[in-house]
Amino acid sequence: MSQATMQAPTSQAADAEASRSRKTNKSQHIRTWADWMTLVLLIVGALIMLFPLIILAMNAFKTIADYNATGPLTLPAHPTMRGIESFWKSSNFPLKFLNSFVISLVVAVLGVLLSVLNSFALGIGRVKGNRWIILLIMLANMMPQEALLYPLYTMFKEAGIYNTQLSIIIIFTVVQSAYGTYLLSAVYSTFPQAILEAATIDGATRWQTLIKVVLPISWSTISVLFVFFFVWTWNEYMIPMAFLMDDSVQTVPLALSALQGQHTIDATQLAAASLLSIIPTIIFYIIFQRKLNQGIVAGAVK
Amino acid sequence: MNIKSIVAAVAVATMSVTSLAACGSSDKQSSEKPDMLSVWTYEPTTSAQYQAWKKSADKFTQDTGIKVKFETKSFTQIAQNSSQFLDSDQAPDVMESNRGNGSAGMLASMSLLTDLSPYVDKYGWDKKVTKADSSMARYTDKGVMNGDTWYGVPSYAEFQRVYYNKDMFAKYGIQIPKTLDEFEEACQKFKAAGVTPIDADAGEYGVMWLWWQLISTKADNKFMDAWQMYKQPVDWKGEAFTFATNKINEWLEKGYISRTATGLKAEDTNSSFIKGDFPIYQTGTWNQSRFITQIKTFDWESHILPGSKMAQGCTGNLLVIPEKSKHKDWSAQLLNNVLSEDIQTGIAEEGGIPVVANVKSVKNDKNKAMIEEYSTFSKKNALSYYPDYPASNLTDAIPAALQELVNGTKKPSDVEAQIQKAYTDGVKDMDVKN
Repeated sequence: MSQATMQAPTSQAADAEASRSRKTNKSQHIRTWADWMTLVLLIVGALIMLFPLIILAMNAFKTIADYNATGPLTLPAHPTMRGIESFWKSSNFPLKFLNSFVISLVVAVLGVLLSVLNSFALGIGRVKGNRWIILLIMLANMMPQEALLYPLYTMFKEAGIYNTQLSIIIIFTVVQSAYGTYLLSAVYSTFPQAILEAATIDGATRWQTLIKVVLPISWSTISVLFVFFFVWTWNEYMIPMAFLMDDSVQTVPLALSALQGQHTIDATQLAAASLLSIIPTIIFYIIFQRKLNQGIVAGAVK
Repeated sequence: MNIKSIVAAVAVATMSVTSLAACGSSDKQSSEKPDMLSVWTYEPTTSAQYQAWKKSADKFTQDTGIKVKFETKSFTQIAQNSSQFLDSDQAPDVMESNRGNGSAGMLASMSLLTDLSPYVDKYGWDKKVTKADSSMARYTDKGVMNGDTWYGVPSYAEFQRVYYNKDMFAKYGIQIPKTLDEFEEACQKFKAAGVTPIDADAGEYGVMWLWWQLISTKADNKFMDAWQMYKQPVDWKGEAFTFATNKINEWLEKGYISRTATGLKAEDTNSSFIKGDFPIYQTGTWNQSRFITQIKTFDWESHILPGSKMAQGCTGNLLVIPEKSKHKDWSAQLLNNVLSEDIQTGIAEEGGIPVVANVKSVKNDKNKAMIEEYSTFSKKNALSYYPDYPASNLTDAIPAALQELVNGTKKPSDVEAQIQKAYTDGVKDMDVKN
């Protein structure tokens, strides 16, 4: 037992040493042609990834006359904020933003909470038949959303919460936490038994084990889940479209889609609005980027 | 313990948010005068018809003191989910609905729309909107258009026209064609000069509209009754149907239409015509006001495709009153305003086609010509509507089949067979055939 706990720091030290030696290698500025190739490929990759964003930004500030004259691939000749302004006003953007934000945040919090509790039971508690339970839970994620629409509609209408944010919150808390449970219980099932046993011997109750031992160690994985749940829910389109009819409850992606008419489309305004709508997710990514990296690395090491 | 209280707090918070939104639903028809009517539309707010609806609403508010709240939804949201929200207590008082058997007709057959007969009698709508113009407003109990019962009020019409870049025609010394032969001759001359003549997209509906317009040069009322109203089996071997597919194929082979059309969407072709890249572009009249304001670099004119026996188009999207609306009488009064002479003239001035005949003279010559051209066809009952009206799957299936033609991956006869199959299956699914 104590041996196992003793081993952890040693292996960490070894890790640290390894990374130190890697660092010293780098500082010598010896780069092989493979390094350069990788660098070039990464830059090309980054440009390809950024390309749609750049096009979006270029067109967001164009006038429609400018767009008609030169098409989408040129810089704006007379930069204008009109597209953004008119979308801001016509869609009542602050309200849509608030709706999206509240829904995504509540889903992310509840989704993570449910995932942790489920996985604690399934991964660490090793409930009998846990594989089957996980598979069952995953069904929520694997089912095409179209198949869920009608039953959910009937249920929500009966319950009187059709056309409210709560309906969306419930659906996505379940859908996201299904994925979270699947992922996190896999992580927890490889959780070092030794640590758990140590905690039990020290007299920890299950709650205490969860909060004082399991949570701190898996914190980075959990924050990754949180960020993903937030961003996924933010970008959801089909289910919110089916359940949120009223302007006062609609989300940002729905406001975006309202810009597109049956046969007509205002390309510059759509670009402006799309740009506006992805800014929050970009900010969210930047804030949580450190956590995200840590979490992915933590997962990879395991 | 901490977690429990957090859960409780979150639960309470979400409940309170939603219970606020959930109340406000009351029951049945209320005879009391409401404070406000809600109207859901998907028309761009700059369009002639949206402006007209706004003006009708302003007048309604002046007359009655009832406010009108407009909400803009996406076309997809109304098209896909209306059968659900119309069946709930969240239905609006007035809604814009796509016309045709697959949309307004289907909603009517599901008893989700109010039978407007009493209001038609009261306000005389059938005297104002006549003949082919009202065919999209009337449905049978199975939801087939041109029935006896009014379920919606049209406010404008639209149809497909060919827009010609006159400067390009002048530059290459080509005359604006008056017959289909001349049209092809003009295409030939442009092609010889190295210009692809026809601007068309196969990513959306452009080629389909061209195809249906070619059918409309050969088809008669019998063909249309069969296709649109299932009155008899469609003549799949007849000239009308085969002519169009072969003609499109011929134009593709001769390079009148570029095979790259397959990757284009309507907005691409709109902007390339505005830019002056193509001499010929067939599109809906909903683009006319855009062309008037946005085309600055050349002069243009427009006519229906030469040789057309029928015009592809009809009265535009309907305003309907959901069965669950709580203020039907007031809503009907609002709809009646849309058909008033002032509002209809306003639509004409803004570049739309009014549905009530005899509007006052229109100042813009191009709009005047468009309105006159439409009425020569609608007065003769010579409208061919759109090819995807008989069944809802056709909106995707016909363009998909024609895309194969544009790609060159299927022969015309295979494309025809594919369309025939989609049509037969779709109509069977609709369960509307008598």
